[in-house]
Amino acid sequence: MVDTVYRFPFEAMASRCEIRLAAPDGGTAEELARAASAEVRRIERTYSRYRADSIVGRINAAAGRHRVECDEETWALLAYADHLHGASGGLFDITSGVLRRAWDFRNPRVPGPDELAPLLALVDWAAVRREDGAVYLPRAGMEIDFGGFGKEYAADRAAALLQQGGVRHGYVNLGGDMRFIGPQPDGRPWSIGIQDPRKPDGIVASIAVSHGALTTSGDYERCFDIDGKRYCHVLHPRTGMPVSHWRSVSVLAPLAALGGGASTIAMLKEADGLAFLQAGGLAYFAIDGAGRTHHHSISGDQT
Amino acid sequence: MTTSRYTPQELAASLVAAALLLPGVQARADEPPQDGSISLRYLDYADSQPGLDRIRAHSPSVSVTAPVAGDWSIEGTLTADDVSGASPRYHSAISGASHMQDERKAGDFAVTRYFRRGTLTAGAAYSTEHDYVSRALSLNGTLSSEDNNTTWAFGLAGSRDSINPVNHVVVAERKRTVGVLAGVTRVLTPNDIGQLTLTRTNGSGYYNDPYKLFDNRPRSRRENTVLLRWNHYADSTGGTTRLGYRYYSDSFRIRAHTLSGEYVQPLGGGWSVVPELRLYTQSAAYFYYDPVYDATLGAPFPPGYSNGADPNRLSSPDQRLSGFGAVTVGLKVAREIGKLWTVDVKVERYEQRGSWRLFHDGSPGLAPLRARIFQIGLTRRW
Repeated sequence: MVDTVYRFPFEAMASRCEIRLAAPDGGTAEELARAASAEVRRIERTYSRYRADSIVGRINAAAGRHRVECDEETWALLAYADHLHGASGGLFDITSGVLRRAWDFRNPRVPGPDELAPLLALVDWAAVRREDGAVYLPRAGMEIDFGGFGKEYAADRAAALLQQGGVRHGYVNLGGDMRFIGPQPDGRPWSIGIQDPRKPDGIVASIAVSHGALTTSGDYERCFDIDGKRYCHVLHPRTGMPVSHWRSVSVLAPLAALGGGASTIAMLKEADGLAFLQAGGLAYFAIDGAGRTHHHSISGDQT
Repeated sequence: MTTSRYTPQELAASLVAAALLLPGVQARADEPPQDGSISLRYLDYADSQPGLDRIRAHSPSVSVTAPVAGDWSIEGTLTADDVSGASPRYHSAISGASHMQDERKAGDFAVTRYFRRGTLTAGAAYSTEHDYVSRALSLNGTLSSEDNNTTWAFGLAGSRDSINPVNHVVVAERKRTVGVLAGVTRVLTPNDIGQLTLTRTNGSGYYNDPYKLFDNRPRSRRENTVLLRWNHYADSTGGTTRLGYRYYSDSFRIRAHTLSGEYVQPLGGGWSVVPELRLYTQSAAYFYYDPVYDATLGAPFPPGYSNGADPNRLSSPDQRLSGFGAVTVGLKVAREIGKLWTVDVKVERYEQRGSWRLFHDGSPGLAPLRARIFQIGLTRRW
């Protein structure tokens, strides 16, 4: 049957989002898309670090004071964060968000070492205690957030919901991090452009994807340039300084939560990033500081 | 951290397992992250002429489609037919029922590379029977217009067969073919798709049937086909009509027309039914001779044989080169079971008669050929 592909754009997680899915009629499509976007919003609400009443808000507020009981979903996300921390040799650290207090990307200014030192003392996932279903941040001022893979996790959850609803063709795009349910109704893969890190409306390649997830980390989303040097929001947890080796790293992975974590780790590992992805058996498309492209089992149709 | 005793490789590889522990990120826990499908079909084919069950074949086959990374896919099917039965009775030189026991092994393999606006597929096929080995290579591509409403297709194919019949009438004979294909598919309206495909195949070598006497065919064959297809989706019923017309002509002077139609109607509850009808008619090859034998010697000698006609002249008694018409009527019923399985059952009835030819001279003396085909298929997505 030739189902029509419906598009549902929406705003969530401070990003432009879209669900595309093939369904026999518009009513069915809308119902499915509404449930999926509601799931995205639920995750945004539950894990927002800006809301005092969210679980993340409560864990952060209790830093240095007491432990906070976690539900199973939060527990699983913390366990995954721990795994990413271990696998990245400590580079992927969900307590590194405090560094944002020194870096304001709307205001181009490089903070001094005296500003960064007290914040770096609060970046310490290894010190976080997780026992008996409760989590405790041992120093006042410590913070966690799921910024590194929360959006991707939401894309996975939304896609799984659609799949359970019978969707076979479509994808979920949350601000450029995408999880695919299946190819276009005629069997052709979706053609996904990779954003040019230096031209906001250009693409450097397009990749054919039907299944799995495509996620991209880059140095161009929140950033500023001073004296020709790019300072981006991907911050090294030990120096507190932005990483600079890659302009962008896109990863094709079975799950978006995996691709999101892995592409961020690759950015943080700088020169060793691609070897890490390769060891993990992940396909990637990366653009280095000089604009050269590097890819592995993913060969973008370069424009 | 307790993970430091692992190598970086092990840690990176463990990420997949760790991500899979996240709740609700996959629709089904037992499903590997990338979809594919595996299908198992069982074909039961039996044909008959009045008073004789001729050939019966049971043929299980397995085909697998597995996506690899994002932009490659690999397809392959492996079939092993097992044929046991009498060789064709049509005034065949092997008269009577000399039973054949034959094992055929075949495999094919294709790799497709997807590009932004096109695809490229390279394929290879190999099949062997004890007296016939066939190898084929093909390269096919498609290119779509910017708006995706028009797709052009092109293809190149070549085959090399070697033939070593058990009766040693010839030894290590060969046949080679080279073919080209060009086509265009166009979305006509949101509900209609039209397609035109042209093919040309040039072949040279051994075209004879080594098991038939007086089967002496030209050593080259040029074949042309024109195929027109039209798919129409009906909003009112939710059904799809697929109509096709094919014209074939070759240097054996066979001209054939095929008209085919099927209608796919989805019903509720995962059921769908597909009735189909195919009408076929062809003219005889110029060197085909009807089952009229030499006045003196009788069967299987062709007319004029005893009067010293050139024994090496072109001739063939193969009924596939005769003029005939054929009708195929079929019905397929498919049912999706859950989200993972599809079962389909197909019954086809085929009848071929010399008198059903529509456009050219036929071979009215031949007994009609009837076949019924029963196929059951099971497909699982994974």
